[in-house]
Amino acid sequence: MNNPNCDLSNSQPSRRDFLRRTGQTALTGLAAPWLLNMTAMGEAAAFTATDYKALVCVFLFGGNDYANTVVAYDDTSYAKYAAIRAAGSGDTNGMVLDKAALTNTLLKPTTPLPDGRQYALNPAMSGLANLFNTGKAAVQLNVGPLVVPLTRAQYNTSDRAKYPLPPKLFSHNDQQSVWQSSSPEGSTIGWGGKMGDLSLSNNSDSLFTCISLSGNNVMLSGDSALQYQCSTSGAIAVRNLSDGFFYQTPMRDAFASMLQQPRKHVLENEYNAVMKRGLTAQAKVAQGLSTVNLRTAFPAGSSLANQLKMVAQLIGARSSLGAKRQVFMVSLGGFDLHDYLNTKHAPLLQQVDGALTAFYQATVELGVANQVTAFTASDFGRTLASNGDGSDHGWGSHHLMVGGAVKGAAFYGSAPPLSVSDSSAPEDQWHVGQGRLLPSTSVDQYAATLARWFGVADTDMGILLPNIKNFGASAGRSDYPLNLGFML
Amino acid sequence: MCWKQIHGIIFNQSTFLRINMINSDPFCKSTSGTGITLFGTATLLQACGGGGGGGGGGNTESTSNNSAASPPNNSMLANNEAARFLQHAQFSSTEAEISAVKSQGAASWLDSQMTLNSSTGGYDWLMQRGYGVIDKNKFYEMEYPSNYMAWYQIMAAPDGVRRRMALALSEFFVVGGAGISTISWSMFAMGAYWDVLCKNAFGNFRTLLEDITLNIAMGEYLNTLGNQKEDAKSGRLPDENYAREVMQLFTIGLLQLNIDGTPKMGGNGQPLETFTQSDVSNLARVFTGYESDNSLGYSQSAEAPTYTLRNVGYTRRPMVLNANLHSTLRADFLGASIPAGTDGKNALKIALDTLFNHANVGPFFGRQMIQRLVCSNPSTAYVARVAEVFNNNGKGVRGDLAAVFKAIVLDTEATSTSGLTSTTFGKLREPMVRTAQWARTFKATSLKGTWKIGNPNYSAVDALGQSPLQAPSVFNFFRPGYVPPSTAMAYIKATAPEFQLVNESTTASYINYLQNFLVNGMWVRAPELITSPDTPTPTDGPDIVPDYSAELAMVGNPSDLINRLNLLLCAGQLSAETVSMMVNALSHDQTNSASTNNAKRSYVAKAIMFVMCCSEYLVQK
Repeated sequence: MNNPNCDLSNSQPSRRDFLRRTGQTALTGLAAPWLLNMTAMGEAAAFTATDYKALVCVFLFGGNDYANTVVAYDDTSYAKYAAIRAAGSGDTNGMVLDKAALTNTLLKPTTPLPDGRQYALNPAMSGLANLFNTGKAAVQLNVGPLVVPLTRAQYNTSDRAKYPLPPKLFSHNDQQSVWQSSSPEGSTIGWGGKMGDLSLSNNSDSLFTCISLSGNNVMLSGDSALQYQCSTSGAIAVRNLSDGFFYQTPMRDAFASMLQQPRKHVLENEYNAVMKRGLTAQAKVAQGLSTVNLRTAFPAGSSLANQLKMVAQLIGARSSLGAKRQVFMVSLGGFDLHDYLNTKHAPLLQQVDGALTAFYQATVELGVANQVTAFTASDFGRTLASNGDGSDHGWGSHHLMVGGAVKGAAFYGSAPPLSVSDSSAPEDQWHVGQGRLLPSTSVDQYAATLARWFGVADTDMGILLPNIKNFGASAGRSDYPLNLGFML
Repeated sequence: MCWKQIHGIIFNQSTFLRINMINSDPFCKSTSGTGITLFGTATLLQACGGGGGGGGGGNTESTSNNSAASPPNNSMLANNEAARFLQHAQFSSTEAEISAVKSQGAASWLDSQMTLNSSTGGYDWLMQRGYGVIDKNKFYEMEYPSNYMAWYQIMAAPDGVRRRMALALSEFFVVGGAGISTISWSMFAMGAYWDVLCKNAFGNFRTLLEDITLNIAMGEYLNTLGNQKEDAKSGRLPDENYAREVMQLFTIGLLQLNIDGTPKMGGNGQPLETFTQSDVSNLARVFTGYESDNSLGYSQSAEAPTYTLRNVGYTRRPMVLNANLHSTLRADFLGASIPAGTDGKNALKIALDTLFNHANVGPFFGRQMIQRLVCSNPSTAYVARVAEVFNNNGKGVRGDLAAVFKAIVLDTEATSTSGLTSTTFGKLREPMVRTAQWARTFKATSLKGTWKIGNPNYSAVDALGQSPLQAPSVFNFFRPGYVPPSTAMAYIKATAPEFQLVNESTTASYINYLQNFLVNGMWVRAPELITSPDTPTPTDGPDIVPDYSAELAMVGNPSDLINRLNLLLCAGQLSAETVSMMVNALSHDQTNSASTNNAKRSYVAKAIMFVMCCSEYLVQK
């Protein structure tokens, strides 16, 4: 039963975790002999929390174009950006954002970047620019998956034992998985889920630890922590369990019982387990949401805004749900702009801006602004070079962190030079061709900084992030610090 | 056939197992050592041939025997087997089809299905309905009627086998309709794309690959359309989208494979990759210079300000090559070389031949087609058998799709009864295929012929979770390598792609979705119109309606009805205990043949609801 695409090195569950989970789902009344064959995993100490904290991952599917999101603004850099991206294609006007249009979203960090570097956000992102400038948001420059720190020369070498690369670079599905779990597609445990594992003992119902509004993703899957799906309409109730469809009560009861029946067939059993979990949770979630009256307005007609609005409402219901530590995931697709970059990118970024700005306001209204941190992520950045009207798959990208606990009005990481040549000049050592950024900060460091704020002990980071051991002072690489410093 | 012949005989799973035990099922061996054993030893011995009638039915826990240990009815077994085969090879199994398969034999029946001419295709269907006109409706700017076309095709187009295979192909050579709305007449482009899949379903993979590469919907979806060669002065480079995805998703995948689908390992114990970024960038040069075929001319759009619009037929013409925009640089990829200056047509031939002849294609494509039709986690031996047929159909031809599909649905792993008692074999029925099955089983028809079934996922509350030809990305609705986290499947490393759609929201919303139409059919706004007004009209109402006449005749006779549904919907795979539970449940309903039509329809709908929400139905073996 080999799965050709599956690297399961980080997904061996522990016996205790399985038992804990099966206890929660209470579905298998069966002897389950397979549990006895499992090797015990070194159990990390779960951490105890007295306050409430939540992380919200905003995943931009398709690979967001960094160069038109966090845009080079100082004259020298802008000139290079414009020259590189000006490649037109007949009836489109290339992908260069007009400098005059960027003034409104100029980012003004408390400490300017070295060498006079400046950035502005895409003109569609005035809300986030304002949050940045008022200290509630920050930018992490050039972050992407790395197994070990790399220079371009090391990337180009064939010595993969000494300089391993992240698996399956430039492949959408694999990079989504690598961002979320350090492993390519087929991986079953993500670092958001691992954070849930270490913190779920703080929640009276562990099911509400890891909550997704955007389908099944490996990010929120842990060993014990199960990913719970909520919809933008709340927890979905099965109508015919309470309306007149079955009419006769014994029939309705038989149906309800059938839906949740333990089964010997693994696929049948898993289906019913999910169904049962959903039915059990639905009443609690409905009850919890009924106590929340959120007044902050969210943009209409935006999928991302609808998701973040529900996240805000669920956070509002945290006492009712008994939650102290939660990890949420929301997402927006459509970023794979091989073409139509200049027409399709801005509306997407506008959605991100409107939704995240409203979300921040909602956390203020709920009194938890300093306790909720949202952060963006994406498959990869894109090329700086143009293919005429779009960009192609890249690697490193710039991302945003938003919340009252973020040390805002600041850039973290290194501002990459703007170049697309393959020369040996210094400005060409920051990309691996066509301006695909070679990350100067790893996703592991980004995740570790967030996890540390969330409550994970430094010594436990390796449980979330198998490659973290290759970064930081203890690996002899203080130039890749484990704590990027963007959280208060 | 007359159902009264089997009325009253309760299918006893334990006796069935006693007679038909297949020793190759690892779950019928002793519990020591290999494999995962989910039964206790005692139950196993009973199930696999020990003792009398004390074994519990099928896959349930109970050890009580709900029925007398009567001998299995051979006719019932034959019906189940025929239905099971039909549900692998197409969407449904009607009484007539079960009968035909029994009398002709599965292989022969399949052969005859594959020689049928393809029925009305997507493009023509849309045209016949009147969407091809230029008027104030601006059909040339609408994509969503392609949903009506797609649902009709899978729910009612006559040649179910061809349509089933085309749907499977649409989940491999993916185009998602919402992703091509930027070209004019996009609904027709989706129709033409579907037609390419139908036309080639029993043809050759190489032809299909070329037709898909030059298809305008695919060209728009993955950016071949309008892709230009490099421009050294500005630094512009060819768009790499199609070059990457044609390798990663449509032919060879990311890892080098053995014939059985397992990855080839390199010296360092790591799997070997198939291509690098350099292969992508080089191959991208081949897919440059392609434009729409505008030889059918133009018209003016309706409504000021008007613009020039290509005539609709362009959507079903292959893209054409503009030599001026085609890259003539040398291109090296996958060990092949296209010399500098090669014309586009020859460059394409070299590229597609190279991809087609790669050793990966058989196992890569074959395994995914097995997953679409039969089971989520096929054995490596099964994959190898199918891949070998892809490599050589027995007459020296590579890429014979008819032979591949036959090999898949007639393989012993698909037909063996060990699959019926295994605790891991099978697959979760895809949501949209369940809808197609309901429609075909109950001969659903659109009263006004407009088939205005939209994308059933606008509201989370009653979302189906899928819609034909509307995958959210080129990666389809779910990944072939998806392993559901924190499950028994994860522990045994079994892929179960359809579970990527299963969560607390969708398991509930599916039931709500069914409730919307099981009694009276699917409600449609203004069904007599091919458009849909924004506000209610007097004709709003059920339009896609089932024919429940056979079932209505069984009202008040729950045993007949449940047994009938068990066969037609899940090939008899509901255990005796489950059937008994359902019969008991339905017995609480006092509706009988003298009741109102409404009450009778509700009775039938409840029975169908039970079956179509039961995990034994949902997981197809």
